[in-house]
Amino acid sequence: MAANVQNQPGRTDWADDEQPDLATAIPPPQITRNKDGTETIVTVFINEDGKRVKRTQRIRRTVVKKRENPRVAERRQWAKIGPEAGKPAGPRPDTTTLGENIIFRPQVGFKSGQKEEKAPEEDKKADQLKKMQIKCRICSGDHFTTKCPFKDTMAPEGEAAGAPAEVDSGPGGDAGGLGVGGGAYVPVHLRKGASGATGDRMGGKFERDDLATLRVTNVSEFAEESDLREIFERHGRVTRVFLAKDRETGRAKGFAFVSYADRIDASRACERVDGYGFGHLILKVEFAKKAT
Amino acid sequence: MRPILLSGHERALTQVKFSKEGDLIFSVSKDHIPSAWYSANGERFGAYKGHQGALWTVDVDPTTTLLATGGADNTMRLWEVKTGRELKKWEFPTSIRRCEFSEDGRQLLGVTEKRTGQLSNVVVYDINPDPDAEQTDEESLRIVVEELPRVTVAGFSSLGRYIITGHDNGSVAQWDAKTGELLNEVYSHEDGMSVTDLQWSADRTYFITASKDKTAKLHDTQTLEVLKTYVADTPLNSAAICPSPTEYVILGGGQAAMDVTTTSARQGKFEARFYHKIFEEEIGRVRGHFGPLNYVAVSPDGKCYCSGGEDGYVRVHHFDPPYFDFKYEVEKEKQRELGF
Repeated sequence: MAANVQNQPGRTDWADDEQPDLATAIPPPQITRNKDGTETIVTVFINEDGKRVKRTQRIRRTVVKKRENPRVAERRQWAKIGPEAGKPAGPRPDTTTLGENIIFRPQVGFKSGQKEEKAPEEDKKADQLKKMQIKCRICSGDHFTTKCPFKDTMAPEGEAAGAPAEVDSGPGGDAGGLGVGGGAYVPVHLRKGASGATGDRMGGKFERDDLATLRVTNVSEFAEESDLREIFERHGRVTRVFLAKDRETGRAKGFAFVSYADRIDASRACERVDGYGFGHLILKVEFAKKAT
Repeated sequence: MRPILLSGHERALTQVKFSKEGDLIFSVSKDHIPSAWYSANGERFGAYKGHQGALWTVDVDPTTTLLATGGADNTMRLWEVKTGRELKKWEFPTSIRRCEFSEDGRQLLGVTEKRTGQLSNVVVYDINPDPDAEQTDEESLRIVVEELPRVTVAGFSSLGRYIITGHDNGSVAQWDAKTGELLNEVYSHEDGMSVTDLQWSADRTYFITASKDKTAKLHDTQTLEVLKTYVADTPLNSAAICPSPTEYVILGGGQAAMDVTTTSARQGKFEARFYHKIFEEEIGRVRGHFGPLNYVAVSPDGKCYCSGGEDGYVRVHHFDPPYFDFKYEVEKEKQRELGF
């Protein structure tokens, strides 16, 4: 109340004083016409930081004539209704936004992107299947042993000869070598194909392929696996991303492993991502050393 | 092209319609408020408040003065587009699944849903195009669909001669629009797969139906003969015919809304698919929605299309030049022959 009393009528607070100060007054924009048909507009204004800014714009005016249906033109002038009533013309950010640019070109024989992406993988699989030679253990023909026409009449080739003929019969194949003909169970590590030494490393032949695995260090502790995946996927197909995390805090410990499907991709990624700045730290990337 | 996202609705879109000049878009969704938008910049013109239930359908008359909406509050309402005034409310025992104006805007058709004790009806009202005039309560025609399964979609043919209905079992029927007599019926879609949409060509001499059986079919209005079939890999919710100068159709669909949470956006196939109308071949897709597309509509001038999705967005796309330039080799040859 006291402030109100002090203010004399007709005179507002000094802060509201609107007398133009000649030093800070803003001159009106100057427009000059140039010879080449353009215009130069010099505007002086005060920007967001409260500083005086002079802006010089050169513009060219072109008149574009467009025919419009008078009905459409009339409808454009309609006053807005309902929740939009009284709002100014132009799209409102709460109801209208612009999406990301979409490139759409019709093409003959269109295949959806999904199929295209899938295709190379399938090709690889098919290739692998092609490379894998199927050899019958009974007649050495190129079909599966179970499909052999001589299945019932002949014993498997290797067993008949008494010596294992194939090299690539995996575990779960026949139990040749030991226990020929007998139905007795043979432990996996004693079967043919397994290395003789007992107490072999766990995982055995299913050991991860470390050849295409990168060790990434100096990772920001706020990093997520998805971030890393995003960075590394640019250089090839990533099969696995492992980010070591602290069990209690859930934050990254600062190192990660990234495996690629292809070693060439891995070496390229190693070259390119090493020294890459990520989350205010510089990544160090090297090939993972074999665990000892 | 940069799509314009219209996010005025709070729930899944059910139908979107362009005005005849293509400048306004009308959208209805399962929230209770129909909206109108300027297609050029996506600005919302306004909304029409009054309905008290989910809305299934909207249509605008050829002069863009009257707007008809119908929904699950068992009413069909008529609005003045310009002012948002409610002009008329028709009440029914069940919800309104589809409404459509005839070509001249003098008749309005509504489809009521079949529910226990109630049959599907197609009702037709004569409309006075003057917004200040009193609208009639008396229907000029009522087709009680007794022997056929539930009607899902319906529309007026060219010159208001026939009423075409699409049914729950995938059949399409033709009725006389004056007498209500059943003239013809064809089983064009797979049995038990409902017809989800029916949209007309510019002159209404043929139409396209979309169905849950993953196909869309082009029918002749007169004979109901299937002219073309477009095969997609997902259940379709909508299909639209692009007017000249392009010869395309747009299909929209996706996995049913209730299965969506179990699939990623990619697998859900939430894309607008473009097919060549004559060669029945897919020529492209436009991605963007996070849910199935419930409706696609093409502007009558062919320069833009919009889709309403289960995700609550309407996406408006203005086509780029490559869209108009695309031609098949045979088309190009033909043009050269004719000396263009």
